Amino acid sequence: MSSSGSLFNIMGPIMIGPSSSHTAGAVRLALLARNIANQPIRKVQFILYNSFAKTYRGHGTDRGLLAGILGYSVEDNAIRDMFKNAEQTDLEYQFIPYDQPNPFPPNTVKFEITLANGDFLTVIGHSIGGGQVYVSRINEYSVALKGEYPTLVMFYHDQPGMIWQVTKIIAEEQINIASLNCTRKAKGTEAFMAICLDSLLPEPQVKAIREITEVYTVYNVDKIPL
Amino acid sequence: MTNFSTFKDLLSYCQEHHVSIGEAALEYEVARGERSEADILLGARKILEQMRATIESGLYSDEPSMSGLSGGFSKKVMAFSESPQSFMSSLEHRMIAYALATLEENSRMRKIVACPTAGGSGVVPGVLIALTDEKQIPMPTLEKALLAAGMVGGIVSQRMHLSGAAAGCQAEVGVATGMSAAAIVEALGGTPQQALDAVAIALKNMMGLVCDPVAGLVEVPCVKRNAVAGIHASAAATIALAGIPSFIPLDEIIDAMVSVGQMMPPQLKESAEGGLAKTPTAVSFTERLYGEQPD
Repeated sequence: MSSSGSLFNIMGPIMIGPSSSHTAGAVRLALLARNIANQPIRKVQFILYNSFAKTYRGHGTDRGLLAGILGYSVEDNAIRDMFKNAEQTDLEYQFIPYDQPNPFPPNTVKFEITLANGDFLTVIGHSIGGGQVYVSRINEYSVALKGEYPTLVMFYHDQPGMIWQVTKIIAEEQINIASLNCTRKAKGTEAFMAICLDSLLPEPQVKAIREITEVYTVYNVDKIPL
Repeated sequence: MTNFSTFKDLLSYCQEHHVSIGEAALEYEVARGERSEADILLGARKILEQMRATIESGLYSDEPSMSGLSGGFSKKVMAFSESPQSFMSSLEHRMIAYALATLEENSRMRKIVACPTAGGSGVVPGVLIALTDEKQIPMPTLEKALLAAGMVGGIVSQRMHLSGAAAGCQAEVGVATGMSAAAIVEALGGTPQQALDAVAIALKNMMGLVCDPVAGLVEVPCVKRNAVAGIHASAAATIALAGIPSFIPLDEIIDAMVSVGQMMPPQLKESAEGGLAKTPTAVSFTERLYGEQPD
């Protein structure tokens, strides 16, 4: 819990067992990856690290990850039979435990996602206990995304007026900004902005932001339920 | 100012405003600005109802867990409580059986409340629901007791990740035991100081607990550990309610737990590579279960 986190993260979530970090956390990480992808997924390779790699079968991490990619919530009774449920979809998937030393925290998964349109997406996420998670990487970009708020994540060429241009579009939609985080590698190089919103930005406004000159990439990521 | 980052802050707030830990927790959650007081209490009630529902579905079930390592334990304890050999009170039998029932449902991949985690999900419901059944605790008091438990876990989680992988079982069943001790004191009308002393006494004895699950399952030692932990929380609450303080202040105990967690080798942090997980019995069970070594 951050210094102002909800107590319902501690006495909760209501979830399918057996492990909040390895089952519920897996569902929530995969839901977040699914929201980052934000379009149909054809194939996923789940690369599992450290404790995830060692104990994923016993903790139902595999069923949880699959459930999240397919859009089930942490308290859905269907998680138990997720391999059967997945058979009834077109999703291709594979679990790959990684057994070499690596710099990642204990419960880490890398999603290598192939979208239905053929695009490729890599998401790295971590489960930190009690069902709480964060994503630290989307493709080549470092992020810190927890799924607590609908979040607009964007990468762009650093230049004056960028925050104004983006927040103007959001303000015109009457959407409140909960927090704004903005950094850059160096003056005039690549910059990063993450805007947590009180509700998800509609697609036409996202498109308008994508069309701003010097915007490289925009992810419009919906929040994930507790 | 309800943005408590230490137990000292929490205690001063309670003493200054003449509120219990549970009432301060409610104020904390209201001050976050996302939910109304009524909605928070409703949320607490929903959690208590799920805790009871999990216990009721598991209590007399014979169904084995997914691995076959557990199942039918809570039913046996309930039967034993009627036997002439039984020597604990009816309350204690319920605490043990309810925690077992919760963890058994968890290992069947059924619905539970993580509190603070799934691996430690039996302790708080075990003590709180048993106490309600035996001592007729009214729902508003029960809601506050649950919130008190949440506040304790919340403050600890600002300093350590509550996962066996990050800090061993002290961060899961350990913290759940501290949370439960506070909940008992709150439910029985003890002072905030007594509640935090109960947490301190519980945590001092849970410090250093490793996470060494057999075959990586949340079963051995987790299922029975949750049941024993409820009794442990009860003993800590009894000591505190009797007016015996903790010599070491709670905030210092948390710092010590963080440090112990950092010293703990990765083999004993939910990797199933040490402790009970590497005993001959566990290794041969793991081979039978998976048809090969998981690594």
